[in-house]
Parts: sequence; structure tokens; C-alpha cells
Amino acid sequence: MSLQIKSIFSENSKQWNVYLDGEIDVYTAEKLKTELNKLISEKKEAIQIHGENLQYIDSTGLGVLIGIYKQICEEEKHIIVKNIKPSIKKLFVITGLDKVFKIVE
Amino acid sequence: MEKEMDTIKLSIPNKPEYVSVIRLTLASVASRMGFDVEKVDDIKVAVAEACTNAITHGANDEEGNFEVEFIVYKEKIDILVYDKGKGFIANDIEQPSISNLKEGGLGVFIIKSLMDQVEFIQNKEKGTITKMTKYVGDEL
Repeated sequence: MSLQIKSIFSENSKQWNVYLDGEIDVYTAEKLKTELNKLISEKKEAIQIHGENLQYIDSTGLGVLIGIYKQICEEEKHIIVKNIKPSIKKLFVITGLDKVFKIVE
Repeated sequence: MEKEMDTIKLSIPNKPEYVSVIRLTLASVASRMGFDVEKVDDIKVAVAEACTNAITHGANDEEGNFEVEFIVYKEKIDILVYDKGKGFIANDIEQPSISNLKEGGLGVFIIKSLMDQVEFIQNKEKGTITKMTKYVGDEL
């Protein structure tokens, strides 16, 4: 499996912490989509993506995040993306998604 | 003066699990050519976007293969992705804005942002060729 996902809800910060390990592309994006949809159907709260072990993402993964964001932003919840590699951050900047999601170190 | 180039051709099944194989092959070719790490990352994303398009929009025949070619020059690489289907609409190239966020359509925009030259060539009735070029050095 080239993508592992671990999700934990934090009662303190009222958000989902999602730890990604591996690559998100056309093959693994569906797995991410299923998991994130499952989380927000349980609790429609903010999602913090932990990207320290995320090796690769492209438009297939970005598209999943956009789709999830559209569902939670109606409740004024956001997506935070933390600790991503510079090459991945670059993709968020090029696409303008750094203005939609919160990118943090 | 003869233009020296090497051509590498891959024939890949129309299956998502192989896109990462193409990325890795391309990364190894690009590193060999002397591209720096940032450019190798750019090229990996661009080729994956083009292959994703070929698989999701292009393939008529799920059991078949699509072709990818790397043409290695001294100063640049040309990457050609051949999709066999009806092709895809290559006009969606504006930067997404918050008000018109789309889940699809980012791929072409990303390819154009990361590569130095991009062409979409209609291959008669047989589909589309996505041709992407990246220069090793910083001249444009």
C-alpha cells in the first residue's frame, strides 16, 4: 500500500488530526477521499493534515481536499496542512490553494 | 550539426497503480541528465498529471496500454504522453479561485505551471498527445 492514513479526533482542539504516510496520486486518492468522508460524516469538524511523511501529492489529492473543504466550510470549518515538504507547498501556492487551506510549518 | 538525442519509450497499462512507476522511471532519467531536485519534482508531478489524464479521460480500452516517450537531449527533456481516447479539454487553464473551486481541471493548469513548454496535439482520430518540455538549465 503506498498510502497509510491515521486519523485521531482531538477533543481539545475539536479537530481531526490526519497523518499521511506515502503518496497521494490517482491510485491512492480514492482511499484518502473515503477516509476523509468517513471522518466528516462522524464529526463535521476542522481537519488538520500532518504531512511530515507525505512524499508526493498531485491534483488528484488536491481535488480530494477541495471536495472535503466544500463540505466542511459550510459549517465554517477549515483544512489545515502542516509540515509539508517545500515541493508540495509549491503545488499549493501555484494553484492558489494556500489561500484556501491554512498551510503551517 | 546533428542533434543528439536518446528516446526512451514505455508502454504502460491503463491502470492507476502504474503512474508511480512512470514517475520513478522519469525521475531516474531526469537525475541522470543533471536536473536539480526541484526540477525533478516538477517533472514527476507534470508527467503524473498527464498520465492521470490519459488513464481517466483517454483510455477507451481498459485492458490496453498507453504510451509515454522521453526524448533526452543535452539541454532538455521532451516528454510525450499518448492517450488513445477522445482526449480531454485542455482549455481549463486559469488559476482556481476560491469562488470557483473545482475538483477536476487542476491537472492541466499544474502541467503548464511546472513545465517550460507544453503542447496538446490532436492525434487525428486517435486521441491527444501531451508534449511537455523542461530545460536542465535556467535559460528560457
